Amino acid sequence: MKQYLIFVLLLMFATPAWAQVVVPGSLNPANRANSAVASFRSVTNDDLLNSSDQPENWLMYSGNYSSQRYTELDQINANNASDLQMQWAFQLRALDRAETTPVVVDGVMFVTESPSNVIALDARTGEQFWRYNYDLPEEVNYCCGRNNRGVAVLGDRLFMSTLDAHLIALDARTGTLLWDTEVARTEEGYSKTAAPLIVGDKVVTGIAGGEFGIRGFIDAYDPATGEQIWRFYTIPGPGEPGNDTWADDSWMTGGSATWVTGSYDPELNLIYWGTGNPGPDWNGDVRLGDNLYSDAVVALDADTGELVWYFQFTPHDVHDWDATQIPLLADTEYDGEQRKLMLWPNRNAWFYILDRETGQFLNGRPYARQSWAESLDENGRPRRVPDTFPSIEGTTVSPSIGGGSNWFSPSYSPLSDLVYVTAYDGETTYFIREDEYIPGERYTGGGGTTPLPQDSYHAALRAISPQTGLTQWEYPIQPRSTAGVLSTAGEVVFGGTVDGYFYALNSSTGEELWYVNLGSRVHSGAMSYAVDGVQYIGIAAGNVYYTFALGD
Amino acid sequence: MFRKTLQLGVGIALGFGLICGQADDLTAQDDGAIGTDVSHLNAGENPYTTAYDVRIGSGIFERSCSRCHGLDGTGGERGPDLTSGFQRASTDAGLFNVVRNGVPDTEMRGISQNRGDQSVWQIVSYLQTLSGGMRVDVPGDPVTGAAVYAQNDCAGCHVIDGVGSSSGPDLTTIGNRRSPAELASDLTDPDERVQPQWWMMNVTHNDGTRVEGRRLNEGTYSVRILDESGRMWSFEKRNLSQSERLENSTMPSYSENLSDDQLQDLIAYLYGLIRPLDG
Repeated sequence: MKQYLIFVLLLMFATPAWAQVVVPGSLNPANRANSAVASFRSVTNDDLLNSSDQPENWLMYSGNYSSQRYTELDQINANNASDLQMQWAFQLRALDRAETTPVVVDGVMFVTESPSNVIALDARTGEQFWRYNYDLPEEVNYCCGRNNRGVAVLGDRLFMSTLDAHLIALDARTGTLLWDTEVARTEEGYSKTAAPLIVGDKVVTGIAGGEFGIRGFIDAYDPATGEQIWRFYTIPGPGEPGNDTWADDSWMTGGSATWVTGSYDPELNLIYWGTGNPGPDWNGDVRLGDNLYSDAVVALDADTGELVWYFQFTPHDVHDWDATQIPLLADTEYDGEQRKLMLWPNRNAWFYILDRETGQFLNGRPYARQSWAESLDENGRPRRVPDTFPSIEGTTVSPSIGGGSNWFSPSYSPLSDLVYVTAYDGETTYFIREDEYIPGERYTGGGGTTPLPQDSYHAALRAISPQTGLTQWEYPIQPRSTAGVLSTAGEVVFGGTVDGYFYALNSSTGEELWYVNLGSRVHSGAMSYAVDGVQYIGIAAGNVYYTFALGD
Repeated sequence: MFRKTLQLGVGIALGFGLICGQADDLTAQDDGAIGTDVSHLNAGENPYTTAYDVRIGSGIFERSCSRCHGLDGTGGERGPDLTSGFQRASTDAGLFNVVRNGVPDTEMRGISQNRGDQSVWQIVSYLQTLSGGMRVDVPGDPVTGAAVYAQNDCAGCHVIDGVGSSSGPDLTTIGNRRSPAELASDLTDPDERVQPQWWMMNVTHNDGTRVEGRRLNEGTYSVRILDESGRMWSFEKRNLSQSERLENSTMPSYSENLSDDQLQDLIAYLYGLIRPLDG
């Protein structure tokens, strides 16, 4: 108890903006709902631009526009993380495994639930303010689970993707539906699962459906009306640069979905977004060429949606290695200079260091087991190992279909200057098959099998240097992990495992600090917030949302 | 008109096996059902079981199911293995229901309503081949095979109908799960793909205790082992000074120990170990 009093006293003298809500005596969890302070307030663009200055709030999916999934809160630190105790648990109604990251605004948590529901909770107690259930049609086309990863907030409004490819706006105080826009047709295989990103006066959002022969895009909508402001197709149309990287009419069904949230650099006014696999996934014969802008990161002018630069990680992908990872933006030293970097542990098992002003490739190294590329050339283009394409009889290649990593968030800590990523050293035997495009049906052209049981392969959380791309340390995980990562100013990094563990490590050394069994797969990324001077760590496991704070 | 009759016939035929979906099926698109006489159908019988149907079913499986269940049905990061029996159904009608409608509140969704019932039955036919359910003739003699089983003390590791040792897989219904070719591979190349629940482990505790046995379960922080004398151990890994995992099979290969005829007979015996037919 004493240490918290000291902490509170320190806060009172240090008085960062967020410490002003500290109410002494509220540190006992039982008393945490006692403060007479109204929750929630309208969120401004300034709040979003300066989200690191108010770490008591978690204002967007990845925490800040740089998508570092890093919190400035340091009440929980490497010295006391072993004292973490569960504060509350909220049972989500659906049985799908939760991939959600909630948003927290002044003591109110907005958490999404599969397939497309939102619940507003008291962030101190887990008790419900309101619930919104979206009414899905009976027939919905989607690939890989009835997922929803979270909301975006601006003003008094929440914005959410729905599984049937709509974008909706809700009143954050009541859960009332304000508008409902059909972004694309679910009958044609489009769906939406990712949290939108607020950029200025726009709601920016992507699309899923890369296994259904869709044509991917990134859209911006008016938060007031739901009307579309611009659309950027991730596959260029006829006459546009890059359309000639698709044989014949294959661009029309080329996938390149955008199913995870992007990032934003306000100084450059650039939106960064990762794009998914070209379609059909495993049969590249019907779409010869580099297949731009699949498996790439695109940098778009935030005002117009026009392409400023792109970098393609896997030209003409035939293994389903989406580049829909979260674009990590970091301002750090590279080659003796302070640089605006983009750091990217790609599903293709290579770690990329890019200059995010220009898209220039700076360096790349494998961070997980891979057998498909001998090296990268000076522009970052892979030199492929011969005979690694899928075949009729099967070709075994690393990484696996699931990749060296996947959609789950990596983290960058400015404190340790390290990137943390959940990595898997797997392999898949890839097959090619003929396929026929039928609207709304799967269009994949093959598939894969795992030569050995999945538990045979090594998995780890890896800490990677943004200067060299080299792994500094790793934390082995058995059997494996599909969890995102959070790092903190308290020198802690949080991750999870498929068998239900949630753990804390020292972010500088990788030393194990704490773990707890939550009973079901940790499939989301942790986040952090504070209310009444208490720092919380939140994480979804299975279909329950849990929070942790320091015990008395 | 015919299509309506077919759908209705299937609906009636499946009785309680199908909970819902018939009303939709009446309006669902047909994918080429032809003028088959369905009046002979009894409860849950699959009308589409020819080799042609299996091939078509395999194609639809690749397109619609393999992303989660793997191209060969052995399971993947999302869906369970379908080659060693089914978790959700034990009859054709039950499988039809699962494929048609999915399993509520799981990631298993029903197949597109654009697919007619014929396609679903063809998938069921293909699924049955995956789990050894499509019966074929085998050359060996099962009675002699039973003697080979006894002479080689297979019961020292395996159980059949509750008799034997449970240090290896239960073989009571192995004929439902494995084809003759797979059984031959199991006997001659047992290390090819050992399921994790049959891996072995040996560990040394900090207090010097050494334990060797079957790795019942393992995570990042702990491991559970069944030793040879049947004692169950659970260790925190931080308390172990040494730990080794063996992913090989503990079963010897019988490619040398048995003649080709003996192998054929043993396969015939094992392949005949099937669960009694329902009702």
